[in-house]
Amino acid sequence: MGAVFVISLVVALAVAYRFVGDYMYRVVAGTKHSAVERVAYRLVGVNPSGEQTWGVYARSVLAFSAISILFLYAFTRVQDKLWLSLGFDPVTNHVAWNTAVSFVTNTNWQAYSGESTMGHLVQMAGLAVQNFVSASVGIAVAVALVRGFARSRTEQLGNFWVDLTRITIRILLPMAVLGAVVLMVGGVVQNLSGGTDVTTLTGGSQHITGGPVASQEVIKELGTNGGGFYNTNSAHPFENPTTWTNWFEIFLLLVIPFSLPRVFGRMVGQNRQGYAILAVMATLAIASIVLTNVFELAHNGTVPQAVGAAMEGKDVRFGVSNSATFAAATTLTSTGAVNSFHDSYTSLGGMMPMINMMLGEVAPGGVGAGLYGMLILAVLTVFVAGLMVGRTPEYIGKKIGAREIKFASLYFLITPALVLVGVAAAMATGNNSTALNVGPHGFSEVVYAFTSASNNNGSAFGGITVNTWWWDIALGLAMLLGRFLPIIMVLGLAGSLARQVPTPASAGTLPTHKPLFVGMVVGVVLILIALTFLPTLALGPLAEGLS
Amino acid sequence: MNGVAMRPAQLWQSTPDALRKLDPRTLWRNPVMFIVEVGAVFTTVLAVTDPSFFAWLITVWLWLTVVFANLAEAVAEGRGKAQAAALRKAKQETVARRLVGWGTADVREEPVDAVQLKQGDIVVVEADQVIPGDGDVIEGIASVDESAITGESAPVIRESGGDRSSVTGGTKVLSDRIVVKITQRPGESFLDRMISLVEGAARQKTPNEIALNILLAALTIIFLLAVATLQPMAIFAKNYNAAAPDSLTINGDGVTGIVLVSLLVALIPTTIGALLSAIGIAGMDRLVQRNVLALSGRAVEAAGDVNTLLLDKTGTITLGNRQASEFIPVGGVTAAQVADAAQLSSLADETPEGRSVVVLAKNEYGLRARDEGVMPHAHFVPFTAETRMSGVDIDDRKIRKGRQRPS
Repeated sequence: MGAVFVISLVVALAVAYRFVGDYMYRVVAGTKHSAVERVAYRLVGVNPSGEQTWGVYARSVLAFSAISILFLYAFTRVQDKLWLSLGFDPVTNHVAWNTAVSFVTNTNWQAYSGESTMGHLVQMAGLAVQNFVSASVGIAVAVALVRGFARSRTEQLGNFWVDLTRITIRILLPMAVLGAVVLMVGGVVQNLSGGTDVTTLTGGSQHITGGPVASQEVIKELGTNGGGFYNTNSAHPFENPTTWTNWFEIFLLLVIPFSLPRVFGRMVGQNRQGYAILAVMATLAIASIVLTNVFELAHNGTVPQAVGAAMEGKDVRFGVSNSATFAAATTLTSTGAVNSFHDSYTSLGGMMPMINMMLGEVAPGGVGAGLYGMLILAVLTVFVAGLMVGRTPEYIGKKIGAREIKFASLYFLITPALVLVGVAAAMATGNNSTALNVGPHGFSEVVYAFTSASNNNGSAFGGITVNTWWWDIALGLAMLLGRFLPIIMVLGLAGSLARQVPTPASAGTLPTHKPLFVGMVVGVVLILIALTFLPTLALGPLAEGLS
Repeated sequence: MNGVAMRPAQLWQSTPDALRKLDPRTLWRNPVMFIVEVGAVFTTVLAVTDPSFFAWLITVWLWLTVVFANLAEAVAEGRGKAQAAALRKAKQETVARRLVGWGTADVREEPVDAVQLKQGDIVVVEADQVIPGDGDVIEGIASVDESAITGESAPVIRESGGDRSSVTGGTKVLSDRIVVKITQRPGESFLDRMISLVEGAARQKTPNEIALNILLAALTIIFLLAVATLQPMAIFAKNYNAAAPDSLTINGDGVTGIVLVSLLVALIPTTIGALLSAIGIAGMDRLVQRNVLALSGRAVEAAGDVNTLLLDKTGTITLGNRQASEFIPVGGVTAAQVADAAQLSSLADETPEGRSVVVLAKNEYGLRARDEGVMPHAHFVPFTAETRMSGVDIDDRKIRKGRQRPS
């Protein structure tokens, strides 16, 4: 069954690649503005036909995100005075900071439990709005980078406000509406109920909150956000009732990241370049999904062996394999939704989500973030390969010189630095004591938290209390820096690429659409990550899983 | 400059240079090796304060890494220096015939080393001599072999006055006699510039090298972080396994400094960083072995980016030594007749080209060189730069070789 589940997903994504990719290409490359969009531009005071240099584009991204964070922070702090608060208190200052940063950075790390902290208004007008626009920001930045490859002799990278508006209105909204309907058909709730009190099987009393779950659930997956309406996220029956909604949610969270290489191929005028990037993503993703399944199904460890399956922390609705596939998919993208608890996975099975995130979430990665991350890695690979040939390397006709490498290597430097420094700081200051476990597993819990935050994933290993002052601030910083520093590097790279005159391909040019190149990119990704994180992994999951 | 593999002697010769490069002020330009050196100093201190076999082993190993990295560069540079020395020697061996008292009635000739020539000196150069320095012809006319500089294989005419008066040091006069006024300052001649290029004194980093250095620096920072942040994690792991005995590697205070430094050196891209500068010079060296003179490592790399090649002259270092290789008869004459006539006309031509005709005639047709004594009626017309012709008059028979100078 697990195999059918995975193979049907691969087939569905393969079919969607061209349709969704071509549709998104038409949206970002089009020149017409719809009436709704024109009204929006007039309201904000933006000239939709004016283009921006990379500096202006970056400042627009930062300004938009800064305002979003301030708004969200204020919104959650005064929620008790607004409608539909369900009587909840205002969110404490450090949790509000953490949450605001988390949703604006497309991370959706949740240092709170949704159904008992956030009222319906905050969920709908605050968090869900960010689920849309933070995803749009990611796609917009990726599109700006692709424009850098596609254009020449120009400083212009497009208009951030136009990209943001179009992507939100024409791509995410219609797909979210369609998806929400499908989810409601599947049994996901959608109401404004304050909840009902029920008597449980054991005779106790439980308060079950309803709410606008389906609308939130769909964008949570589609925009690779991952912030659940409920604390238990996609394991909650109101969010993810059946095996086929589980399949559909995985499809939703993979469909845009996997289709973006098509946009890349179309924009640079060579579809085969898009296929090459897709092949790298698919190779890493399939390998990861298979390995996670293998580790989980092998159920090494005392308890799983005693009970015959690694079912701890998993829901019987989904079973081991479909939970493992969800775990791999959610960490391969920057979603971070969970339908099972990664902390309870077997040691090596629990290591796979960690490795997926440590890869920089490029296979296929978050919406937009995955494509620009992968393109940066492709640039680095072209450079390393070019040195072997002994000529100035070029990718899609653009020379990779000192300036390009500066941006690319800084991009690559940021996230591992945040993870390693964060983990070391937690260990050195003793803040790891909030972890539930001691020894290697407790260590894994700390590593997972910082890996998830720095890579803007947002999934939680669990087993660690992170709504303390220190954790909220530290993880908030990791999310903030892990999102916007790389974005600045990406836009800088786009700017210097767009300025160049394209070099015609010659006999000495490394073909970047052949299997050889795909293999090289995979190799570069794996080697760089292995060298960086092997010592850390050795002390955590490897120590636990191999002892 | 023969292409030879690296000899052990070169290693020894380069060792002092390699040790000199250990100076942190020069080494910091290569961040990767600089970090290795800092690590080596650190482990040395640790090994001295707390000696153990392991500590000294690692220390020695680290120092060897740094020295060998420098050695590779020193050897590469050393080969450049050897080539430069050969060029310099050639320059020093040239003896100039300086004319003292030029312009007066009492003109004397004295031999001096070419390197000692000053601006304004007057020298005389005759056929088969090398012009000792850059200058202007102030008297006479000569055909000069400038192939070493320009690549033109045919000799060129240099004469006083006009725009064909300048001559370059290192070129060779093939016929006649000229008087040259030296215009170069000592140490600024064409040959000097070539020596400085080969020596690598003005070695620039190639664009790829600059970009690679940035990437390596970024990787070094990542691995530095990976090692530095290992310490708190290790302390945590050690405290959890308190029963595990302390070892040289790890104790209650975490991983020992020596092990951390070793891990760092193993992780950072030491090899590439160490060899970067050597690669550029090695590339030039490989080309020299194939008789191509690359002026810089940058040029070697730029060659990889060439899309279109436009050829003007033959290469820069060609020997302008035209040699006769075959007699081709036309009309009703035989090859032997051609050879006979060619030989006769070339007997009075003392340029390499003329001599080669005589040699070829002897080798192919057994025609021996005849001089005026053998042929009583012959009147030889010697080759000069003015006529560009040589030949012989035997009674009424006139044989001429060459072409009329275009007027």
